[in-house]
Amino acid sequence: MIDTYVPNGSSFAGDIDHVILVITAITGFWFFLAEAVLFYLIIKYGEQEGVRAKYVAGEDPKEKRWVAWPHYITLLFDIYIIFAAISVWQDVKQTMPQADETVRVIAQQWAWTFVHPGADGKLDTPDDIRVVDELHVVKGKTYHFELQSRDVLHSFSIPIFRLKQDIIPGRTVRGWFKPTLTGGYDIQCTEICGIGHGIMPARIIVETPEDHAAWVLALTPTQAAITPSEQPTQLGGMP
Amino acid sequence: MHRMTSFLLLALALSACRPEGAKKTLPGNELYAACISCHGTDGQGQEKIAAPAIAGLPQWYVEAQLVKFRSGVRGAHPDDYEGLRMRPMSRQMMDEGEVKAVAEYVSKMAPKKQAPTAASSGGDAAAGAAAYGTCTACHGADGKGNQALNAPPIAGQYDWYLVSQLHKFKKGIRGTNPKDVTGAQMRPMSMTLADDQAIKNVVAHIATLSK
Repeated sequence: MIDTYVPNGSSFAGDIDHVILVITAITGFWFFLAEAVLFYLIIKYGEQEGVRAKYVAGEDPKEKRWVAWPHYITLLFDIYIIFAAISVWQDVKQTMPQADETVRVIAQQWAWTFVHPGADGKLDTPDDIRVVDELHVVKGKTYHFELQSRDVLHSFSIPIFRLKQDIIPGRTVRGWFKPTLTGGYDIQCTEICGIGHGIMPARIIVETPEDHAAWVLALTPTQAAITPSEQPTQLGGMP
Repeated sequence: MHRMTSFLLLALALSACRPEGAKKTLPGNELYAACISCHGTDGQGQEKIAAPAIAGLPQWYVEAQLVKFRSGVRGAHPDDYEGLRMRPMSRQMMDEGEVKAVAEYVSKMAPKKQAPTAASSGGDAAAGAAAYGTCTACHGADGKGNQALNAPPIAGQYDWYLVSQLHKFKKGIRGTNPKDVTGAQMRPMSMTLADDQAIKNVVAHIATLSK
């Protein structure tokens, strides 16, 4: 349902959509039910000639159950939501499946630099490919990512992956994803990071292995010659 | 359901559009609002966020740099921390007309000679004067620049900015984009300065030039 508007482009996007829909359905059901009861009571017990309003404290069990029963049922639903969410949290955030490749994402006010491992598949080697505002990955490969910030808090978000992860200056925050759709999609910062926060978009290009190999080949010689790989020590302030 | 949601989203998007009559180039002073937080209301910049003084720079130069930033010819190198910040800001100028308007506004701001800072301390202005001989061909002996050669004025600019740009040219952080023709001219010139001391020397000399 959500993927009608934002495609479902990672191995765990469907699980996250499911949690979102479960929560929406449960809270939506209670919202509409509560509003219906509220308006029913407002209309039924509106101002009446000769009837004086009275303060109801809810001490009478017959009155209290209007609050107590929905409360108990809500708690049951909460337990269901917690179980559903914990299972997804465990799979997406607590488990790191074996990576086929690792990419480094360096955020700054107001741009993204993506460090790709190049043909050797390893970061911090001379053939690393550093590209501003464009992350190239292969469909079906499992990626680990290392998030770093040059200045302030940022947040790495790829809506089609249902991925959102804060980036904290001075730390390397790790996570993973596995793209399942080819094409170009948005990357955005989802932590207000200064005056240019709204204008620091980037793109993720999910390619076939052949297209990605051609891209790596096209960029490796130039990048390796002109911009040798930087070590993580570059971080932590203005160069 | 989907059709209804799409309709509502479309209605919301349309309501955010500027009316037809508002599609005009904003005047330079209004456009400059996007620049104030870094370059200041007076265009004098500030060192702590590496924003250079831009007040009084020639319109052609400001325009050329904005075009470069907007198109990613300048400020798109992964190591150009400050340039990467300027690039999205330049894109707040929505078209060529707005670039021209803000550049004209900046060019009419009152320039000011910036005082030397720690960036050029220890620089030998006399030694720098000799090294500056290479620069005179384009920037002129007085450092006032030459539009015919696409050389901007450098006299009066902050010393820390000149030092940082010379480092960027030397390291290939600036002037290496294939479309940056004028940057490609400057880069080999920066390479004539052998080391950090040579850069400090020449910047110390530039600081002696009157605005």
